Amino acid sequence: MNRKGLTKLETALAALFVVALILAGVGWLQPVRESMQTITVTRTVTAGAQVERTITQTNVVTSTVTVEKPVSLGVFKIAVVSDIGGRGDLSFNDMAFKGGDEAVKDFGVQMVELISKTEADYVPNLETAAKDPNVNLIVGVGFLLSEALLQVARKYPDKNFAGIDTFTQALAVQQLGKPLPNMLDIVYEEHKGSAMVGALGCLVAAYHNEHGGNYPYIGGVFGIEIPVLWKFEIGYKWGCDWGLKWYEQRFGKRAPLIGEDGRYGSGPGWSEGLYCPVGKGCWYKGRVLWTYTGTFSDITKGYAAAKPMYEQGAVAVYNIAGPLGLGINQAVQEIASEKKLQSGPPYWIGVDANQDWINPGFIIASMMKRVDRGVYYATLLTVIGKFKEVVAEYNGVLTLGVGTRVGRLEMEGISVSTLEDLNEFIQMGVNAEKLTGRKVLPMPPEEIRKNVAEMRNKLPSWVWDALTELESKIRSGQVEVPMVLTKDAVDSWRELLG
Amino acid sequence: MIREFFTGLWRAKVHHKAAESFVAVLVGLGAGALLMLAYGYDAGKAYTALFAGAFGEPEGLLETLAFATPLILTALVFAIGVRTGLFNIGAEGQMYVGAIAAAYAGGMLSMPAGIHLIFATLFSMVAGALYAIPVSVLKVYRGVNEVVSTIMLNWTAFYLVQYLITYVLADPTRAERAIPAAITARYATIGASLTTVFYVSLAAATLTYFIMWRTVAGYEMRVVGYSQRVARYAGIPINRSITISILLGGSLAGLAGASQVLGRPPHWTVFATMGNIVNLGFEGIGVSLIGRNHPAGIILAAIFYGGLVHGGRYMEFAAGVASELVRAINGFIIIALAIPGLFDMFRRLLRRNREI
Repeated sequence: MNRKGLTKLETALAALFVVALILAGVGWLQPVRESMQTITVTRTVTAGAQVERTITQTNVVTSTVTVEKPVSLGVFKIAVVSDIGGRGDLSFNDMAFKGGDEAVKDFGVQMVELISKTEADYVPNLETAAKDPNVNLIVGVGFLLSEALLQVARKYPDKNFAGIDTFTQALAVQQLGKPLPNMLDIVYEEHKGSAMVGALGCLVAAYHNEHGGNYPYIGGVFGIEIPVLWKFEIGYKWGCDWGLKWYEQRFGKRAPLIGEDGRYGSGPGWSEGLYCPVGKGCWYKGRVLWTYTGTFSDITKGYAAAKPMYEQGAVAVYNIAGPLGLGINQAVQEIASEKKLQSGPPYWIGVDANQDWINPGFIIASMMKRVDRGVYYATLLTVIGKFKEVVAEYNGVLTLGVGTRVGRLEMEGISVSTLEDLNEFIQMGVNAEKLTGRKVLPMPPEEIRKNVAEMRNKLPSWVWDALTELESKIRSGQVEVPMVLTKDAVDSWRELLG
Repeated sequence: MIREFFTGLWRAKVHHKAAESFVAVLVGLGAGALLMLAYGYDAGKAYTALFAGAFGEPEGLLETLAFATPLILTALVFAIGVRTGLFNIGAEGQMYVGAIAAAYAGGMLSMPAGIHLIFATLFSMVAGALYAIPVSVLKVYRGVNEVVSTIMLNWTAFYLVQYLITYVLADPTRAERAIPAAITARYATIGASLTTVFYVSLAAATLTYFIMWRTVAGYEMRVVGYSQRVARYAGIPINRSITISILLGGSLAGLAGASQVLGRPPHWTVFATMGNIVNLGFEGIGVSLIGRNHPAGIILAAIFYGGLVHGGRYMEFAAGVASELVRAINGFIIIALAIPGLFDMFRRLLRRNREI
């Protein structure tokens, strides 16, 4: 039998192979047809523009500016595709779904969720959503989805796509020569928020030093050293400097210890604890202790980095490494239980979400990056039919920050946490508890509110005044927080600020 | 000829096996349905969405095949092991090594198109085989059980590769992943996430079949798998068969890793979390059991499994089934399907023990 040609199994295998080849052959044809469709669709879009009724080119211009689509929705769906963090991460993804929920409430749209379990899920998840005829907007959460968004947004030109923190349009320009007309990267002015919490941190140190504390530093624990994080780092350091200068003006003297001490440096350029290189002004250099841990996931490294900072006298440590905040919290908690403290110092500073509830009384505030607002605004723009217009106007990149506006609409995305928005985030913790069955909240919600309020009230009002002033000055453009994106820039700022 | 084909199938009890698998599918689907009913979901709607999404349209089918591609390869690794009497679960670690080797050869080297792709593919296969050498050496010279050595080496590979991605092969502009494969080292995209690496995996399955059933070495390996005593009596070099089995497996595992780097858009690389390759090796064990440790069965099983992976998102999307539950349901189906294969394996093990 062995020599008599093919055995039955070989025949079966060969048949299978042929079937597979045919199937794959269908696949070869498929994308060709697809891309031809794409071309025609794009053509009709550019000729007919956004408003379906337009007949001539001139009409387009006038009508798109003034006419807003009436909100007659019927089935109008938005899809939110998470990155691998998924639901229950209490940060990025949960915020995005929260924004979706708010859009559902306010605009009467429906939201569908797709959780990505691995990086291989991004494209199929986005496609699944895009294929549904009722889905008008697909939001990808997190920069990891940038490539996947490019691939899928290109294929479905009649659907709107938005990405939180993505750089899809930069990729599009690189690969296609121009941005996609249906894709909106939503990014944030983290440097401004970081400046605000930096000022807050240094002023809190000044306040405690006034009352006999020994806090010559604030600290920052960063993740992997990628350009995005430079924005946080320099913003934070710059904010501290601004805060100490504000103190000087307000009280007519240097802030105690952190503002005057000679420990920060000596030699050329240094005078009385300030670093004044020729022609570049004077700076409170070296007030920030900072470490890049090289990880966004290893919580123990957050602890290892924060612990020595507190030992050296950092009044607060800023968490710019996602879950590593829990490691910072552990370091704080250790000191707190050792000294039997009910509230800080030491403190830490939260990031992305309002993290104040994680350890109430020990977190001064959080630099909030409102991912939820991003999803909400993208939905809003889709609902009122202005999405593609905004994409065209901003080259596909919408920056949400302090005092940012799109047309007549205020679209802010960066703020320092307040007591008022604490409730929404406590609710997020409650939901996560339901979802995961794990205990998330450290104490009952009422107690969290009470502790956070107590801590805030204990700090003098001038600390909060300074924060308000900085925010309004940023908003009005009176002060400009440096936005650092290149190695050269980060080096020159580190030279000034330490 | 055709009659011969069917009587052949009949004699090989393919109809028994098919019936068993069919019952297993029903049992698995039933268990999943019960789970959905318990949580108040519409099971009918969910399953319709699952299968329509995974197999009902060309795009979905291509996506399903893309998910099936690496599973075919890692399942072959396990199947070759079982056929040689080994419980080789080293595909996971060898696959990591193959992936990082592909990222290195594809991303760091520059070569003319075509040659680059072939070189990167072969390079990762060699890397996977090299990483399998300790397993075979320990087995042959020291009698170390392959389960123990592969489990340990899987973790070694995990951390080694993670280190390499983070510190050696990191994409300078994107710290979260290794440098992507150059365009010259990418398989052509067929559609959706499917690339021509799929053909390579089919070819590998065919080749494995011919090696195992049509060559002397393969015959010897299978005899070793049936009974080492018989093999020794027949003068078959047992150690050589075991070594071939493990190294052949290693190269296929390496290819599986390469398939995710050189053959999967849009990233063409491996992430520092390794989330896009992790578990493909272990899932291959299930696929191999479903496919009765035979290349033909494995191809079908991998496509089925890929369909569950891809179609699962439609259950979530169309029927609102929570994504965690989708995984649980898929798990039920897979366990039910693997049970006949497991019986096969134990039956064989028992028979071998009786002989001894």
